[in-house]
Amino acid sequence: MNVATLRRIAFAVFRESVRDRVPYSLVGFALLVMGASYLIGQVTAGQDVKIIKDLGLAAMSIFGLFIAVFIGIGLVSKELERRSIYSVIAKPVRRSELILGKYAGLVFTIAVNVAVMTAVWYLVLGYMSWMETEAFKQSWEAPATDPRMLVAVYLIIIQLMLVIAIALFFSTFAEPLWAAVFTLALYVAGHFSADLKHFDLVVGDSPLRFITSGLYYLLPNMAMFDVKNAVVHAQPVPPAYVGLATAYGACYIAALVAAAVWIFGRRDFK
Amino acid sequence: MTAAIETDELTKDYKVGFWRPRPYRALDRLTLAVEPGEVFGFLGPNGAGKTTTLKLLMQLVFPTSGRAAILGQPVGDLEVRRRIGYLPENPYFYDNLTAEEVLTYFASLFGYSAADCRVRAGRLLDEVGLGAERRLQLRKYSKGMIQRVGIAQALVNDPDVIFLDEPMSGLDPLGRRDVRALILKLRDRGTTIFFSSHILSDAESLCSRVAIVAGGRLATIGRLQDMAGVEIHGWEVVMTGVAASLLATLGARGIRATSVAEGRYTFELPASARPEPFVAELSASGAALLSVSPLHTTLEEVFVQQVAKAGSARPGAL
Amino acid sequence: MQSARDRWFPEVASPVDEIYFSSGEALGRMALSYKSLLADVYWIRAVQYFGGTRLDMKNGVMPAAGSGRSSYDLLYPLLDVTTTLDPSFNIAYRFGATFLAEGYPNGPGRPDQAVALLDKGFANNPGRWQYLYDKAFVYYWAVRDYRQAAHWFAEAAKVPNSPAWMPGLAAFMMGQGGDRRSSRFLWQQLRDTAEQQYVRENAEFHLQQLDVADVADRLTTLLKQYVSQTGEHPTSFEPLIRAGWLRGEPTDPDGVPFTIDSTTIRARLDRPSKYAPLPEEGVPSPPDSAPQQAPTR
Repeated sequence: MNVATLRRIAFAVFRESVRDRVPYSLVGFALLVMGASYLIGQVTAGQDVKIIKDLGLAAMSIFGLFIAVFIGIGLVSKELERRSIYSVIAKPVRRSELILGKYAGLVFTIAVNVAVMTAVWYLVLGYMSWMETEAFKQSWEAPATDPRMLVAVYLIIIQLMLVIAIALFFSTFAEPLWAAVFTLALYVAGHFSADLKHFDLVVGDSPLRFITSGLYYLLPNMAMFDVKNAVVHAQPVPPAYVGLATAYGACYIAALVAAAVWIFGRRDFK
Repeated sequence: MTAAIETDELTKDYKVGFWRPRPYRALDRLTLAVEPGEVFGFLGPNGAGKTTTLKLLMQLVFPTSGRAAILGQPVGDLEVRRRIGYLPENPYFYDNLTAEEVLTYFASLFGYSAADCRVRAGRLLDEVGLGAERRLQLRKYSKGMIQRVGIAQALVNDPDVIFLDEPMSGLDPLGRRDVRALILKLRDRGTTIFFSSHILSDAESLCSRVAIVAGGRLATIGRLQDMAGVEIHGWEVVMTGVAASLLATLGARGIRATSVAEGRYTFELPASARPEPFVAELSASGAALLSVSPLHTTLEEVFVQQVAKAGSARPGAL
Repeated sequence: MQSARDRWFPEVASPVDEIYFSSGEALGRMALSYKSLLADVYWIRAVQYFGGTRLDMKNGVMPAAGSGRSSYDLLYPLLDVTTTLDPSFNIAYRFGATFLAEGYPNGPGRPDQAVALLDKGFANNPGRWQYLYDKAFVYYWAVRDYRQAAHWFAEAAKVPNSPAWMPGLAAFMMGQGGDRRSSRFLWQQLRDTAEQQYVRENAEFHLQQLDVADVADRLTTLLKQYVSQTGEHPTSFEPLIRAGWLRGEPTDPDGVPFTIDSTTIRARLDRPSKYAPLPEEGVPSPPDSAPQQAPTR
């Protein structure tokens, strides 16, 4: 495994993404957060900061999700469809290096994206804090620019890394449209995995229980990475929890990327 | 001497159809060898298996059976890939990058230093005539320009063997002339060139050996001059200002006359008749000579013949 | 605010909006991991709805007769959904507690809803003594059940981190019931500590109201003295003014005049004074009666 090759492919992905659509999402995010902070002042009865915190985290997550899915799919599916992959394969690059390089490149892109969004968000929060009186600030549960919120950002990044792995996996064998649909479906379904666990209480001892249990363990639990509410209310997030979520994500990612490498290595490129 | 490229009973079946996939044999037991330094033409009608062969050689697809080797190593060998170049059919690269960036990126995949990559990219872009547009994003390029980029990227590592799939596609006559010149230059350098095409005139002017595939099978392979034949089976004479009265008599002598334009006529003489007396005869009556050329079996005729022989039924998988 | 409201959300009074409140749980599911943000949206709706309805009431706009609706009836569902989506949404609970219990025209007059919301708040956030305190306050002020109020002040005192004056307040409530001094104390507490401007303003209003009630009491005392001294039963304050007992016509801070209730010989203040009806002195429940249950919806 040639690390230099991985680096070069990853950088090529990063450059392609930056030229593609990613900056628009950054601009969109900045406008959204700044615009909202300006507009909502009147109607929230003093809750502006909480709302901007919620909005920033939610927007980061959603924008990140769409970038992860659509660029993630494009990495392999679109390249196969458009045949731009032909010339790369003939170069001294292993197929596994290609897939891993693409994964690394998109993760890097997303991380940079989220970092920039986080910086903008903190700036807006800082500005809002600066505009408020000290007395009013006493009533806040947490400072506007509370650094503990970075835990939520970190877990959002881990979750996005998982989504990219899912997108990569599906795009090694499915057409772009289907790959996108499956990835989004898995993302949504992953939020309901807790329900599956409760479902087997409803279903009782029937064989259906094995299916629901199996699905529960198989589906990635997306809700695990969501600590947004906790950090906005300055409730503590134990480091053990963060570690567990990271390890959980890492396992899934490893499995998915390994599967993607295996499939990609064996298939014909029509 | 090891062949630069060789295949042995190379076969590729595809599964076609969704519900009950039937195998479709795209390539049937192809066996051939290309010597180093050759310019080898791989010809055939559309759908004959040319692109499939190239994809098998590039390991874009995997063979159902049989083997292929490049420079003595099985295809897919990483070291060998350092020494080959490939131009895909209708190439497509990354829209958002400039030509310079694409070439630098590809060069970097060989492990050259950053400075070396840039130098190579610049040199190649000049060589294919894109020096002025190097900083433009590829989305703005015409088809012909993209083709040139494709050629450039195939040469980025100064390959010993180069594979070209329809290299002339999308190029105007000037472009084609340039590519022809390039291929000859590469040949002079000793590069082995394997190119597939369905345009025969290119093969005729460039190749030393050709293979013709049709219906997934190798129909014939050999040196151009052997196949196309040196035998002259007639003469073609073009003259102008021929008296109408003479024309009438020529038919009786087995000479076919075709009017081209404005008093210009093409005469086909059988092999038995020498052209010199014929020319002298017509000149005496006031006609002027434009050209004399020998007629021999063209590659086109061979091609058509072989394709017809291969028949419409495609060999099924056994 | 009205224009912001119209821009962001259509008129809340349309029947289609009823569907929005099917279930906070269901909404929570659909929101995936974006519940907090959706809670914020509902919070904004609640605030706008409240402000808009208040404005309507001030302008005399009422819901269509026969529509089966009354003003403010969406306030509880909105706050309920908000707090289901974000169970730690502190302000929503306290805002709801204050304004759900307020009678017309400032609120729907539903102390039961206020209590329900506060119970939910405490169940989700067992460290927040403020919700029990607010609940006690609802019983004290809106329901006038001083026994319950005392009980809940005592419960609030049991929560760790509750302020030191809580047990004292509980004891006092037990003994005194609803006198003006404790009322004043509670409203002052609320005014000085509430995070919300609305809530503070509301508390300030009630303190002023207590001041006006004090004035009414003094007028009543004066009236009774006059009656016992002169034997007359005046129907207005004119005689007292002529006799020099009062300097001028007694009015509330806005200029609405006091009147006399001849049957009870008390000064009273009626609409259109915004301070009417004045809070009465409460009577503590007899010691042997069981604490009353909050009326169910």
